[in-house]
Amino acid sequence: MKLNKTWKLLLLATVSLSLFTACSSQGNDPAATSAADPASKEETKSTDAPPEPLGKYPDTVTVTEVLGYNPPEDPRTPKGITPDQNAYLKDLKDMLNIEVKYKWTVPSSQFEQKFSLAMASADLPDMMELDQKNFEKLKKQGMLTDLTAAYNDYASPELKKYMESDGGFAMKTFSEDGKLLGIPAFEDPFLSTQLLWLRKDWLDNLKLQPPATMDDLDKVAKAFVENDPDQNGQNDTYGVSLQKNLFFWAYDLRGFFNGFGAYPSIGDNQSAWIKDSSGKLIPGLIQPEVKNALGKLQSWYKDGILDKEFALKDENKAVEDITAGKVGIVYGEWWYPNYPLNLNVDKDPKAEWIAIQIPGLDGPGKSLVPKIRSGKVYAVNKKMKNPEAAIKMINFYIEKGKKKYMEQNKAENGYVYNWFNPRIYNPAQIDTIYTEVNKALDAKQTEITLDDENYKNVADVFKATQDYLAGNTANASKGVNWGQYFSRAAKDGGWGMTRKIKESGAFVNNEFFGLPTETQVEKGAQLDKLMQEAFTKIILGGSLDDFDKFVQSWKSLGGDQITKEVNDWYSQEAAK
Amino acid sequence: MHKPTLSRKMFVIFNSALLTAITLLGIIPFIHLLSVSLSSNTAAMAGEVKLWPVGFNFDAYRYLGQKVEFFRSFGVSIERVALGTAVNMFLCFISAYPLSKSIDQFKYRTVYVWFFAITMFFGGGLIPTYIIVKNTGLIDSIWALILPGALNVWNMVLMLNFFRTIPRELDEAATIDGAGHWRILWRIYLPVSLPSIATIGLFTIVGHWNSWFDGILYLNSPEKYPLQTYLSTLIMSINSQMTSVSIEQIKAMENLSEKTLQTAQIFMGALPIMVVYPFLQKYFVKGMTVGSVKE
Amino acid sequence: MRTLKKEYILHLMLLPGVIVTLIYAYGPMAGLVMAFQQFEPLSGFFHSKFVGFDNFKYVFAMPDFKQVLWNTIVIAVIKMVLFLLVPLILALLLNEVTKRWFSRFIQSAVFLPFFLSWTVLGGVIIELFSLSGPVNGLVTATGLKPIMFMLDNEWFRGIVIGSDVWKGMGYNMIVMLAAITGINATLYEAAEVDGAGRWKQMIHITLPGMAPILILLGVLSLGGILNAGFEQILIMYNPTVYEGADIIDTFVYRLGMFSQQFGPAAAVGLFKSAISLVLVSLTYYAAYKYNNYRIF
Repeated sequence: MKLNKTWKLLLLATVSLSLFTACSSQGNDPAATSAADPASKEETKSTDAPPEPLGKYPDTVTVTEVLGYNPPEDPRTPKGITPDQNAYLKDLKDMLNIEVKYKWTVPSSQFEQKFSLAMASADLPDMMELDQKNFEKLKKQGMLTDLTAAYNDYASPELKKYMESDGGFAMKTFSEDGKLLGIPAFEDPFLSTQLLWLRKDWLDNLKLQPPATMDDLDKVAKAFVENDPDQNGQNDTYGVSLQKNLFFWAYDLRGFFNGFGAYPSIGDNQSAWIKDSSGKLIPGLIQPEVKNALGKLQSWYKDGILDKEFALKDENKAVEDITAGKVGIVYGEWWYPNYPLNLNVDKDPKAEWIAIQIPGLDGPGKSLVPKIRSGKVYAVNKKMKNPEAAIKMINFYIEKGKKKYMEQNKAENGYVYNWFNPRIYNPAQIDTIYTEVNKALDAKQTEITLDDENYKNVADVFKATQDYLAGNTANASKGVNWGQYFSRAAKDGGWGMTRKIKESGAFVNNEFFGLPTETQVEKGAQLDKLMQEAFTKIILGGSLDDFDKFVQSWKSLGGDQITKEVNDWYSQEAAK
Repeated sequence: MHKPTLSRKMFVIFNSALLTAITLLGIIPFIHLLSVSLSSNTAAMAGEVKLWPVGFNFDAYRYLGQKVEFFRSFGVSIERVALGTAVNMFLCFISAYPLSKSIDQFKYRTVYVWFFAITMFFGGGLIPTYIIVKNTGLIDSIWALILPGALNVWNMVLMLNFFRTIPRELDEAATIDGAGHWRILWRIYLPVSLPSIATIGLFTIVGHWNSWFDGILYLNSPEKYPLQTYLSTLIMSINSQMTSVSIEQIKAMENLSEKTLQTAQIFMGALPIMVVYPFLQKYFVKGMTVGSVKE
Repeated sequence: MRTLKKEYILHLMLLPGVIVTLIYAYGPMAGLVMAFQQFEPLSGFFHSKFVGFDNFKYVFAMPDFKQVLWNTIVIAVIKMVLFLLVPLILALLLNEVTKRWFSRFIQSAVFLPFFLSWTVLGGVIIELFSLSGPVNGLVTATGLKPIMFMLDNEWFRGIVIGSDVWKGMGYNMIVMLAAITGINATLYEAAEVDGAGRWKQMIHITLPGMAPILILLGVLSLGGILNAGFEQILIMYNPTVYEGADIIDTFVYRLGMFSQQFGPAAAVGLFKSAISLVLVSLTYYAAYKYNNYRIF
């Protein structure tokens, strides 16, 4: 018995000790390294020749990373390849003498989980791909290195061009006290513009025009329900696609509400904030226009324009109905032809989709567009000795897009681009593709003449476009080729329409792009449940006046407080 | 055997019918999965496949045959199940034995029982467990999937209850013959409790085969993933919590549309474990004689 | 003196299990302090701010909490009862099947759904009960109006409970079958000689023989009184049935929607653990006192 007790004590001691060391090492680290850091930085500077964006290190520099990955996209990628066998890494070693070591790799859907474990166990890599929340957390703890000097000295001309393409707005967002703490990967905010996608062949079958106003849309949708638009003699179609989340990332109602001049959400259950006449930010969710839109949805539901069971269907079900040709109208962004419209095109050879500006109350409506569209930012750990290596790696990836590498840089040779980090894209990538492909098409070229770092992206779309126009399905199905063409290159396609909307100025900005405020974190889930329940019940036939009750509860349960916090943020941001 | 009465006959018919219906209910999802995997991809994506393939073909299985990841993970799973079950069963067996003794045979049993039982209710959660696993040096090794759950308390409690049904006279007789606990355990308890070992063994095998989340947490590279961890990555590669879909995510979505291949992998992933149960069943039958091992 | 020597071996047998449990089950329990902290992964357990019972107050003060707690208990209790009753009936019925291959086949089939995750099964079940699904096909065939099962609070609860029992019943059924096979066969022979029929044999031999296992399963299932099945409900529910199907775990899950809230989640976890420990201990001692039987 005695022995047993000693054992227990001993073990308890070891266990608590190990917990203790894990946690205490964490508290000390930032301080310890920040002291050691400036010295090491100077060291590298003095030994290096004048900064070259793609200069090769004399001695191998090891950079640790973590990776959230998706499967390789190209079916020609060698079977069974793993992220550390990626040919990009081999080239990086040859070209710059930088060696990447992955601390861990994980499927992207589990990245967040795994990263918070890494944070909790004080085991962060040198180079980090961060979302806004984690960026702020690490920034607060002083764990990010200042990249200002590294960026100024080492960024390649292409990288600088990209970063300055929005006037430095994105970089400013990720700076503190003039210190650049991360390189943001941002895209054209107009990629978020809502469009209306319609089955053109159904319109033609019923001799209808594309709708410009909400009333037109009403008629078209009704006809899609009642007049057998697919002419199969069966009453098996409905009007507008929708799944159970009213404000989601696709197949939702953001565009519909926008048509009523209502701006409730930017998707994923997050409220949108618009500027009122006095210059203050107001929550789009509780404005009277939302009530009008809900009223219309209620009548749509009654008339069978919405699926009777939309409230229990998830996005996969919505995709099924689109693919199966059960529905001919769906709100969404420019990329739908890539997925899932291509599936419908492959299934039904007659299917033809068009994109139009969202119908509004009298004439086309204005879509909500964010101020900044940046999902992630690349930052460097304070502990890292060569922060400029991160910048060089970004340069390297951009460089690899050039035409001279194309022969070798292929999936079948083990190049998996989406396994390489950091990747910074041309924020105007999609517009470059659109312009260049159309230029080549108009001049009836057989090849892209462009010879800069955008070559690969442009050439891929151009190839798909040519295959589609020639009816060649040797490389990919008709739907996939059409998807590439109609989303990115077609003048009346996804980006083509978005471009026109951008130029005509038919949009409203979402003004809030900060982190969730304190009350949002605390009460957000509750307010969201309140909204989901109230809105869904109204659509399913509840009283429309319940909206007013919802507004009252929303305000008193924390909404008013959130509005105040958001406006505080706004005035601070304006001062920046 | 008596001559079956009329009511007995009626009961047998009713019973068989009812059980057959329940059986069908259990099989239907698998028929559905199999049909989807044998259909054309567009039909599968359109949700048209119910219980019979639409556009019948073997493409998914042909493609699966070349999927290195699938077979690699399959091997890891086999290794995990073999190692894990051996460790689990051994610990379960030797821990259940002392606890199956009554207080007069083993004074401190209740203390131990509660020491173990508490862990059925209280857990520290994800982060602390991760830190312990990390500090005991198991991260990125298959032992991370085995050691933390090496003693399943629930199974041990089941086992100790099975042990209690073994007649006390058996070990009393053995003790008189001079056998110690260790010998009683292996020579008498082991052969007599084969049905319960088969039962708990089944749960252990199924548990190891089906668990996937620990693979994500403790393993650092996808090559080391067991099968279910790998399969989980196929189903959920789209993160639903997002406000804007980036250009790369769209490409990932295109990949998601390989529904028949996904389904084929889910089906093949469940298949081996389905075979285990009928195999273990023969020990259940052997157990029928256990009660009469009175010597 | 002799018994002491013997007990020494028993302690030794438990040693490996004790070590593993100490390290991997008791070790992480240090993390329970999170329930009293405003926990932040980067700061760890030693540098996160202590907030006393604020996390508990925060969760319990949520206006929906009572409803959610009630939903959880209702769903969990019905599931608990059915998880004992249905497998018991199944096991008894199977015990009456004389053709061995038939019995084996059914056992396998009943156990099958256990192998599929809710991510896969959830879609199948929603499909089954949808407006155009086979269940509504039956409903309309009898001349009734189709029912939107999944959008109705009462039906939805029923489906959640029923499908979970269907998926998991094979597990307890196997435990019970093992218990039946452990019953002394001579008892049946004796009963047969006495002229007892099947029904009588079941009442007087099979059921009493299974009693210890039944009590064990019953008492331990009480530990799950606040677990109503997180993954299943998360996949199957929708805003129209929040009222009747939002449970503690889905509620906590949504709390983390805007930013992961470790503290409140840990507080709820601790609350659940404490409740189940109390319930199980009470029934443990009740079983001991009235039946003189220690379930473990």
